[in-house]
Amino acid sequence: MTAGSASPQSTTEPLLVLGLGNLLLRDDGVGLELLKRLEGRFADAPGIELVEGGTQGLALLPFLERRPGLLVLDAAAFGAAPGTVHVMWNPEHHAAPRGIGAHEGNAGELLDAARLIGYLPEQVCLVGVEPADISTGIGLSGEVEGALEAALEAATAAVARLTAS
Amino acid sequence: MTAQRVVVDPVTRIEGHLRIEAMLDGKGTIQDAMSSGTMWRGIEIILRNRDPRTAWAYCERICGVCTTVHALASVRAVENAVGITVPRNADIIRNIMFLTQYVQDHVIHFYHLTALDWVDLVSALGADPAKTAALAQAVSPHWPKATTGYFSDVKATLSKFASSGQLGIFANAYWGHPAYKLPAEANLMAVAHYLEALKWQKEIAKIHTIFGGKNPHPNYLVGGMACAIDMQSDNAINMERLNYVKGLITQAQGIVENLYLPDLLAVASFYPEWTTYGGGLGNYMSYGDMPQNGIGDPSTFLFPRGIILDKDLSKVLEVDPTDPDQIREQVAHSWYTYPAGTEALHPWDGVTEPKYTGPKPPYKQLDENGQYSWLKAPRWRGKAMEVGPLARVLIGFASGRDDFKEVVTEALGQLKIPAAALFSTLGRLAARGLETRLAAHWLQAEFDRLVANIKAGDQQVADTTRWEPATWPAECKGFGFTEAPRGSLGHWVHIKDTKIANYQAVVPSTWNASPKDSEGQHGAYEAALLGTPMADPKRPVEILRTIHSFDPCLACASHVFGPDGEKLAEVVVR
Repeated sequence: MTAGSASPQSTTEPLLVLGLGNLLLRDDGVGLELLKRLEGRFADAPGIELVEGGTQGLALLPFLERRPGLLVLDAAAFGAAPGTVHVMWNPEHHAAPRGIGAHEGNAGELLDAARLIGYLPEQVCLVGVEPADISTGIGLSGEVEGALEAALEAATAAVARLTAS
Repeated sequence: MTAQRVVVDPVTRIEGHLRIEAMLDGKGTIQDAMSSGTMWRGIEIILRNRDPRTAWAYCERICGVCTTVHALASVRAVENAVGITVPRNADIIRNIMFLTQYVQDHVIHFYHLTALDWVDLVSALGADPAKTAALAQAVSPHWPKATTGYFSDVKATLSKFASSGQLGIFANAYWGHPAYKLPAEANLMAVAHYLEALKWQKEIAKIHTIFGGKNPHPNYLVGGMACAIDMQSDNAINMERLNYVKGLITQAQGIVENLYLPDLLAVASFYPEWTTYGGGLGNYMSYGDMPQNGIGDPSTFLFPRGIILDKDLSKVLEVDPTDPDQIREQVAHSWYTYPAGTEALHPWDGVTEPKYTGPKPPYKQLDENGQYSWLKAPRWRGKAMEVGPLARVLIGFASGRDDFKEVVTEALGQLKIPAAALFSTLGRLAARGLETRLAAHWLQAEFDRLVANIKAGDQQVADTTRWEPATWPAECKGFGFTEAPRGSLGHWVHIKDTKIANYQAVVPSTWNASPKDSEGQHGAYEAALLGTPMADPKRPVEILRTIHSFDPCLACASHVFGPDGEKLAEVVVR
């Protein structure tokens, strides 16, 4: 496939569930906590792979290649009340206008880059939790801790939809 | 235009947190500049009292980009302290890891961290694909993807991407700024190659995975490397893996020779004025690296060791990082405190006592007369130094090395510029490309050396005779170094009763991004900005060009998904 081709890639890999975030920045690590809890439900399920992406940013590009679907678990600062669970399907633009850089690895940049080089899966879902506190430290805030169950249900529903399509 | 202060914070498309304040005169020319590292690192404190054999694993995680370089400097420091000479295979494998990092890092730097300072994406959307194909074929005859259809596809992808009105990863630049000079077709070619490089960069990193077990942050070992060599085993470095590495090296050479270098020279040819700006200090330092006969024999290093002062290429001075009178760090303008009466300390005696005296964030401006950075100010015999690709290439050139002279002379000839043009922002970018050419070539040579050594029956990758701390002296000091892609990296360790008593890392960006010292001498970034004219202080592309030419790397950033993203760079003009 050329860089410019927009045609769908052949999908030979399992569905990818990607947890993103920095455990050292409190609620920024919520995606990793969700991933850990999802592992309990899907660890042995066929056709699903769970990957802890941390803050690796563009180094995660190879993981996106040839996936039928992608579920991203992350903190999502959309300006809603802390603890709000956001579910977004196939967001047109991920637009995190910080420019590209291996350290500035957020989900938006990763998905933008994947789109440009033809690695973006057909179906992409983001399940994000609005953070309350992203200061340096370990452990989630009460608001985000309280949202974990709802986020987990949303993520499980997203996996069901991704595997059905 | 009145005198004003331009603040860029954070500087983006870099690794880490950097703030630049530039003071302009009434004509818009930079008269003074401040470079401030706004993030605290503190690895020295984390390492106190730890087992020196584990230090590399902590140090390596200082950074997620130059992930191997801190591990390499660290194991070399501990080996130097306790008296270990690593086997030849370990040296060669370390060299292969080192060169892999160079090729990947420099290509990423060119396309993904600095190209958008010179290449106008919006202009690319108006390019003629057929003319772009003709241009690409002329610039790089051996690169296969140079057809009208290919460039039409790329243009369509970009147009679709841009049509929503949001530019995503491309939003962070000053599109339409008069400082962009490339024709539309050159812009389209460069953006297409930006995407090609994005796809390729994940391939080359596999070399780190093969020898280091994982990437980023591959495994190192005090005494050698942690990868067994066994042609009969599926779980070791065997023929299949070596052949895979060989393929990746060939692919990397194609990227460097047929994509990176031709693009670099093509872009550079449109910006001759940038051979006159951004020179800066004119003092250059390299510790040297790429040992051919062990790390204890600098005379065999493929990257030579040395110092150049005042742009004088007629002599290369010696540098000894273990001499307490040569490299010393000052904190006059840094947020640290030293014991009373102490102005400068050699890293073996280094002290890391944070003392923040700056304003409470968010603040409008820093005080150039006070303390203004989390970086110390390292100096060589009291002089500020530039480190990195330009320093290495100039030192190789001035040392009379044929390989350096050949690539430099060829590039100068193609661009029709004199050697003095290298002392500039563009010279820094060119030097990075030229040393990548050498690195890609050396990568093959080191691979061949490894295969030959294995064929000769040598499978040893580690010397563990001094692994047990009981074999060490009660107290010892060591120095480990490497020429990281961004420049000279040194780790100084002091071991007492088998634990780390003191550890100091002086990294390339500490040299380049350093604040002023007690005598008011600027660091390399600051000096390089002086005298640069700015067309539009609200869109400071000139500052980005020069700062990006150093490939800044400061620390790890935060990471949150947001609808508007974070502000790319707060540019404030006062």
